[in-house]
Amino acid sequence: MNPPQHPFSVRPGAVHHREQPVFWLFRVATYFILACGAAVFLNIVVKGAGTVFKTEAPFINTTFLTEAPESLYIFEWEGKKMEMGDREFRAFKEQNPAAAKVKAESFVYSAGGIWPCIVGTVLLVVGSMTIALALGVCAAIYLNEYARDGAFIRFVRLAILNLAGVPSIVFGLFGFGMFVIFFGWNVSLLAGWFTLAFMVLPVVITASEESLKAVPKGFREGSLALGATKWQTIRKNVLPYALPGILTSSILGIARVAGETAPIMFTAAYVVRDKLPWEVEQLGDFFFQGVMALPYHIYVVSSKIPQNEYTERVQYGTAFVFLVIVALIATVSILLRNRLRNRYRW
Amino acid sequence: MTPPEPAPTPPPGFVLHKKRLRFLGLTVEDCIKAFFGGNAIMSIVVLALITYFLFREGAGFFGQNRQNLEVYRQAGLEYVDYLRQQTDDHTALTRYLSDVRLRALNHYAEERKLSFEDASTALAPFDEFAGKFGDAVEPLRGLVSELSDVATAIKTKFIVNEDKKEERRQLLAENKAAEAAQVAITPVDFATELKPLLGTLPAYKDANREFAAQLTTLVSRVPALPTPDLQQRMARWQQLARDYLATFPTVERNLEQWDYRQPVPAWKSFSSFVFGRQWLTASFWQDWYGILPLFVGSLLVSLVALTLAVPLGVGAAIYVNQIASTREQKIIKPCIEFISAFPSVVLGFFGIAVLGQALRLLSQQEWLAWIPGFPYSERLNILTAGCLLALIAVPTIFTLAEDALNNVPTALKEASFALGASRLQTTLKIIVPASLSGIISAVLLGLGRVIGETMVVLLCAGNRIAIPDFGRGLAVITEPVHTMTGIIAQEMGEVVRGSIHYRALFVVGLVLFILSLLINYLAQGIVRRYRISIG
Repeated sequence: MNPPQHPFSVRPGAVHHREQPVFWLFRVATYFILACGAAVFLNIVVKGAGTVFKTEAPFINTTFLTEAPESLYIFEWEGKKMEMGDREFRAFKEQNPAAAKVKAESFVYSAGGIWPCIVGTVLLVVGSMTIALALGVCAAIYLNEYARDGAFIRFVRLAILNLAGVPSIVFGLFGFGMFVIFFGWNVSLLAGWFTLAFMVLPVVITASEESLKAVPKGFREGSLALGATKWQTIRKNVLPYALPGILTSSILGIARVAGETAPIMFTAAYVVRDKLPWEVEQLGDFFFQGVMALPYHIYVVSSKIPQNEYTERVQYGTAFVFLVIVALIATVSILLRNRLRNRYRW
Repeated sequence: MTPPEPAPTPPPGFVLHKKRLRFLGLTVEDCIKAFFGGNAIMSIVVLALITYFLFREGAGFFGQNRQNLEVYRQAGLEYVDYLRQQTDDHTALTRYLSDVRLRALNHYAEERKLSFEDASTALAPFDEFAGKFGDAVEPLRGLVSELSDVATAIKTKFIVNEDKKEERRQLLAENKAAEAAQVAITPVDFATELKPLLGTLPAYKDANREFAAQLTTLVSRVPALPTPDLQQRMARWQQLARDYLATFPTVERNLEQWDYRQPVPAWKSFSSFVFGRQWLTASFWQDWYGILPLFVGSLLVSLVALTLAVPLGVGAAIYVNQIASTREQKIIKPCIEFISAFPSVVLGFFGIAVLGQALRLLSQQEWLAWIPGFPYSERLNILTAGCLLALIAVPTIFTLAEDALNNVPTALKEASFALGASRLQTTLKIIVPASLSGIISAVLLGLGRVIGETMVVLLCAGNRIAIPDFGRGLAVITEPVHTMTGIIAQEMGEVVRGSIHYRALFVVGLVLFILSLLINYLAQGIVRRYRISIG
């Protein structure tokens, strides 16, 4: 026998059954999106893992992560097929003079690793986020703490909203026109930093404002009532509580900065560069040098060299490393933010 | 009355009115406030700077383009292009004929099972006809190539002269008058230079008359073809050929009236950019900077992306917001947010490495042949780029649409339930219409995101600069295109600073910038105007 039904419980009737197919439609749409995302992610992770990891100890392909890109040479030697990077090939030719005449197929960037790209990306992210955080947090403090609603503030907010919608390539053009040409910085870290910082500014401002808003009014009022000045209140009673939130939300901005290619294409990125960024003669040169960057490197290896089994390794490997870095940053940000939202309840 | 006792002076530690430190008439607090305010203004400043620098670099374009068009006219390139148009139209007709021949050959080979030789014999009259038709244009074509050389020579002369003028100007600027005087500039006298060009007009008229006579006789005597379908095609060709013949007097009139001294009006340089159908750079003949093919490319790719992304994104938002259990919500939302963090260049790479090939294979399946445009052979095209862009647009649309659904007052939902509506009815007839403005603005912002996306279209859209053939209907989405964002990314690295090409790219950037502002403005306007609020 069925247990007695609650008088107000919904009994699945004809209407309920008719609804189900439509609900399933929505469900399918949702899971289709997730499946597409997963397909892209898994494809790159599975194929890229072959480059980055190895089957024997230490299990990680250290050459790929710690060396600069090289050309790959493929040739037949004593009946065997050989694959060698540029330097290795040259050494090999010196050892075996007979090899000098061997016909080798070469693929640029397909051997070696991506170390300079990783370094360049990290430098770009650190520099631009520092600038963006400094500007963004201060702007958010003004908007949330000082400003009174008025025409001016509405204008500022409008500008922020519009800035968020500007295509990244337009930021690239702007950075090129202003920093590279007008300021004469050429293709340099500094130009890239400012371009990226301006691009990510709306994200940082919005995130910071959200965190500042989450600090209860009572904190400010209590402090002011005790005779503290506005600035003392903000410094001692608002910022410390908002700062974790600001930082975690801004990590999402980091994902954006690290992931964009278009703005750095003509402001900061080099296709190839032999020296690592810290190998400069003067400290001043450090800021005025172009760097290699992961996203630009992916663009180069996926569009400028042919697709085959040899080049595929570096293509997927680079994409894998890049995707994992960005995904890691994004995941950390999303998780931290969700935890933080539940952490403080005032 | 006793005078009031003077207030006892408080001990020094309790002074209430401390003298404030002032700096330019501002207290420290004011300074701090001003500092923060300055940072807030930064966003306005950046926006203004973007506008300024895009204008600064791009503004010179229209002047240079006008000069470009002026040279085009003065050096007689325009004159030659009238003639070239005539031969090009003829080539199109020849191509039509060879298409008909191919069909006829297929018919002989497959339906009548004729060997190749027999089929060729059967087609001999047709071939003779086509050969005559093709040869008729030769004198004209010879004239065109001859005149092309003349015009190019004039243009080169002019450009060399301009370069010399620039050199002299630079020398003068450096106070090297003696050296500047040595730079020999022989001004180009267009009237004399153009004389040989214009002198060919009577010869052209004679050639043209003969050409027209030949065509007229040919068109009236088309060879017979085996099937009614082919006959019909031939009749269509006849019609086209007659139309072509009818253009001859116009060409002649154009040539007669053409005058190199006619000034190029200023709006022409603007309209040739906005409505120009060609984006042709570094060509030996004439450079064209028309944004139309790029704009159409951007638009088509975005439309495909939105057609896919809107149902998916909005559907998912409705599902997560209205139907899913809380646990499902907690999993799905971060996952979709995670998708939004995929770098676009990685998606572009995925398109090149996997998706392009996969979609092409899919298009070659027989059971899918009913879809317009299938099967296709170009791996990278609008469809590939559109699919990937959809994945970029979905998180944006989803997040914003979900917010909009969330903001619908619960009272509406409760009232609907109280009136006995089912869950589906409430969702589709109450919640979605109430949040429609938010959803539309979400779609618009998704469009903004997609139209400004660079790397995916650069890698996956095929990069062919041409307006796709809309005559094919929906099949147009299987053609490769180039986009506004893509062209900037591709060509910016290679252009000479300050050249017209360089400035043209900045103007394209300016168009993108204005477009993005417009989309933003519309999205905000819709939300503000149609927001439902319960007071």
